[in-house]
Amino acid sequence: MKRRRFNLMELIGALMVAVLIAVALLAPLIAPHDPTRAVAPTFGNPGPPSAAFPLGTDELGRDVLSRIIYGARISLTVGLAAVAVTLAIGVTIGLSSGFFGGAIDFLLMRFTDVMLTLPGLLLAMALVTVLRPSLLTILLVIGLVSWTQVARVVRAETLSLSQRDFVVAARALGAPSRRLIVRHLLPNVMPIIIVMAALGTSGTLLLDAGLSFLGLGVPPPTPSWGRMIEEATIYFRTAPWLATFPGLAIFYAVLSFNLLGYGYLRRRRQQ
Amino acid sequence: MLAYIARRVVFGAVVLLGTSLITFLIAFVIPADPAVAMAGAKADPQTLATIRHELGLDQPLYVQYGRYLDRALHGDLGRSYIRRQSVTKLIASRFPATAILAVSAMVLSLAMGVIMGMIAAAWRDRAIDHVLLLISLGLVSVPVFWLGTMLLIAGGLYLRDFPLGGFSGIKSLVLPTITLALGSAGYYSRILHTNLIDVLGQDYIRTARGKGLTPQRTMLKHAMANAMLPLVTLAGLDLAGLLSGVVLTETVFDWPGIGRLAFEAIFNLDVPLIMGTVLFAAFLIVVANLMVDLLYLWLDPRIRLEQAP
Amino acid sequence: MKIPRTLRILLAIVVTLVAGCQGGGGAPEFPPGAKVLRLAEINDVPTLDPAAGYDTVSWEFEQMLFSTLVRYGEADVKLHPEAALAWAVSPDATVFTFHLRHDVRFTSGRAVTSADFRYAIERVLNPRTSSKGMEYFRAIVGAPAFIAGRAAHVSGIETPDPWTIIFHLAAPDPIFVDKLAMPFASAVPREAVARWGEDFSRHPVGSGPFMLKQWIGGQRIVIVRNPDYFIRGLPKLDAVVDLLGVSAELEWLKFEAGEIDVSAIPTAEFAYVMKTPSLKRLTTHRVTVATQYLGMNCQMAPFTDVRVRQAFNYAINKRKLIAILNGRGVVAHGVMPPALPGYDPGLTGYAYDPERARQLLAAAGVSHGLAPELWLLADQTELMVGQSLQQDLALVGVNLTLKPIALAPLLEAVRQPNTVPFMAFGWEADFPDPSNFLSVLFSRSQWGANNDTFYYNPRVDALLREAAPVTDLQKRYALYQQAEKIIVADAPWVFLYHPVAYVIHQPWVHDFVLNPMRPTRLEKVWLSPHR
Repeated sequence: MKRRRFNLMELIGALMVAVLIAVALLAPLIAPHDPTRAVAPTFGNPGPPSAAFPLGTDELGRDVLSRIIYGARISLTVGLAAVAVTLAIGVTIGLSSGFFGGAIDFLLMRFTDVMLTLPGLLLAMALVTVLRPSLLTILLVIGLVSWTQVARVVRAETLSLSQRDFVVAARALGAPSRRLIVRHLLPNVMPIIIVMAALGTSGTLLLDAGLSFLGLGVPPPTPSWGRMIEEATIYFRTAPWLATFPGLAIFYAVLSFNLLGYGYLRRRRQQ
Repeated sequence: MLAYIARRVVFGAVVLLGTSLITFLIAFVIPADPAVAMAGAKADPQTLATIRHELGLDQPLYVQYGRYLDRALHGDLGRSYIRRQSVTKLIASRFPATAILAVSAMVLSLAMGVIMGMIAAAWRDRAIDHVLLLISLGLVSVPVFWLGTMLLIAGGLYLRDFPLGGFSGIKSLVLPTITLALGSAGYYSRILHTNLIDVLGQDYIRTARGKGLTPQRTMLKHAMANAMLPLVTLAGLDLAGLLSGVVLTETVFDWPGIGRLAFEAIFNLDVPLIMGTVLFAAFLIVVANLMVDLLYLWLDPRIRLEQAP
Repeated sequence: MKIPRTLRILLAIVVTLVAGCQGGGGAPEFPPGAKVLRLAEINDVPTLDPAAGYDTVSWEFEQMLFSTLVRYGEADVKLHPEAALAWAVSPDATVFTFHLRHDVRFTSGRAVTSADFRYAIERVLNPRTSSKGMEYFRAIVGAPAFIAGRAAHVSGIETPDPWTIIFHLAAPDPIFVDKLAMPFASAVPREAVARWGEDFSRHPVGSGPFMLKQWIGGQRIVIVRNPDYFIRGLPKLDAVVDLLGVSAELEWLKFEAGEIDVSAIPTAEFAYVMKTPSLKRLTTHRVTVATQYLGMNCQMAPFTDVRVRQAFNYAINKRKLIAILNGRGVVAHGVMPPALPGYDPGLTGYAYDPERARQLLAAAGVSHGLAPELWLLADQTELMVGQSLQQDLALVGVNLTLKPIALAPLLEAVRQPNTVPFMAFGWEADFPDPSNFLSVLFSRSQWGANNDTFYYNPRVDALLREAAPVTDLQKRYALYQQAEKIIVADAPWVFLYHPVAYVIHQPWVHDFVLNPMRPTRLEKVWLSPHR
């Protein structure tokens, strides 16, 4: 009974993520309108949801539904790519630290400590402001400020794994480090990495939405959910739906990755 | 034990030094000419040169860093280019607003998180546990700025007399506090839940139950103390983070805190102010880490015993 | 137990903090019946130091705390006496003599004399002050020597007695008196500046109708009536309280709740306000002496070709733009705004004609693949404008990308040659004369300064030089209008619109008028009893 329930969470999460990816990939086919063109004369006065425009139109005459659908592309791209950067850095540092120990561990961990004291969001904001705010910059910056958690967790796992018999034995037999890491450690650390990937994506999605909200995301007219909310705040009394729908989209995306990651974690814990 | 404390303090200072170096280097990458920012680009080259000399910008990098560090240790973080006021004074003037929001949010999120975690653990694997799990996951998935905006909308539509933004007394504290607290509440409730389950499964608890204590008493007396410890340390670190400003919430609610100050500074490429706020944030984290270490020392006798000469 | 104790301590801290706070630092108490005008502001006041301030908010307060020799009217841009009773201009516009009132006093008690005005202007010219107003007084005889440090005083400023001040200029300047109406030229007491140094902004001592009572950064600024103000009966208010850091929507909510007396009208509410008669009659508006434009760098491709620049003018739908801005603007046909003396009502400018735009682009050989980057201020309204422009340009085959950037770095970047090809900007007159638009924005000597399009036309330059010293207004304006026609044909700008300022006030607020060029003056505003 119990095991089925945990699988359910993971399953639902996976399903939600799949739908999200499908929407992002098929955007040009499912979106009813071009997300950047004015398709309704509602200039300066956003239009409420109607039969023609199920989620309404914004102050520049654009269809909100189409913008949300296309917004999935940006959010997913940034979210997943940033997590890839995070994992690349975090896993490398964590594995090296945990496996080699000694001076390497000390230096890497001190470096991680310093990065941990720097306020992540502020740093991201400053870096994006200084460099050009483009898709590449944003996913790199987000990746750069999010790896410390991964590094620590991977290091802890690596440390505990390194004490285990099979690793000690392999080392005693003179196996080269690279082989040890790739053949023995990595597969065992993989479950943790998968969990961090899923939960990390929900984190990068939120960070990207936050940066967009502050005006530091992908520049217009590319639709970005965070920025849609920011543009909608001035209409919060006269057109509240403008801010509601993009937020629901972000919530859906983040929740899907959280369910997936957490469900997977629970399932592994049960075993 | 004193040696342990001393070591932690020195360690914290070293980390802070590293942070200041990185901050300084980043500030150097920022393409803002302070002389132009102050005098305007219409000023003649001689004026600009005079200003640069007064600010010490014609010195080599390490000299500038040294001077900056020296002044910072005396509490002088320079002057904002745009506002021309002392950075230290600017941060200090915004701190009360940030502090009160941070503390209120922390109290609320801990209270909610602890209650949710306790109930979920007490009625483990029943319906309420799963419902609370979903609620927690939902809470950590909500973007904080969207939640704030939704609360603003609800407030604007349904609560006529409610202050919607700005810092003007206790009523104006309600919405931003709720916004900030909900996400953390979900997070803390999961952590407490996990810790409680772990602790409840341990031997000494089983012994206590064997002695005849009722389940609730068991949990409260023995399990909670041990399960709360990691949570409290985490909360301490989070509080430090909150005290250095929460940009998103402050932006949504026009809260006059350090977060917005930092955002404006970054927006205007106001280098001294950027550096000041980043250093302040780092300083808070280092202090929080130290206090957490000390708290552990005080609460966990095992560490104390280990450190005894 | 340890845990509850920690919680108890935390709770105690919270309670103390909360109990001790009365909305963040006590608000000053006023006696019942006091006439207090309550306002709100998005930004903090940058500074109150007249030598430093060069923006609307700083000037709004500086003109209430300090006195200049001359000033503008409440609703007009004509010169009126302030600290000066009368003044005389020599026929060749190089010598300006002012006779001061004898009853102007600083709030510290002592009388304001000609020496104080000379000190103020020398302070602005002093490189150590790094004042942005330096350029306005550089033409005074002896100023270059003073700036270079070779002279202790500016020889061209004469103070033969405490009530007379005479300015000698190195070249004729018919609008020099307008420069003395800028807050840069406010009288400041030397001893207060010496005492406070760079903190003078926080401890301003002036001779205006109000004085500073309280200023909490990011929260509130309070100015109160100056009982020794030299005009009896003014100000009619007892105090002005301005809440800082309040967003436009929040300001509106407070206005609706009766918490503030005057408010801007946020975009989202504008249509509703104009449709509601009871609200509409409480609004005031004024066409400002400003022009919003898109600057095209004439030295950078693709804007080196005049056909491309003209095409962009035809491609932009300005009426749609004004609709997006809720109608708070009038279409711009040329450079100068309607409220500026010297405005040419006969200019027709460029109509919206995307077909013509496409033809011109084809003629210039760039019908496809144009992908310019527009540098613009990173604020909500500007981004909306930018996205509207993207829509228009997409229809003529131009793929516009936006580069939002903060004001300070933007101002710096546009001054570098070959850096910014395309920018969205506005220009507001500092004084009511065509030279303040045309010479400042389009003459060759302003390359690297305010001529951010790096435009150069020798005929225009010649006309501008010819017009500068002309004191006969008709002749003067005719020359400038000629220059403007050439500029419009050369199209270094896409001439967008002239903003119209709107404000709404409570029924008990009277005589709150908008000035086309300066922030509103508050000394004649009065309140009828309410609540």
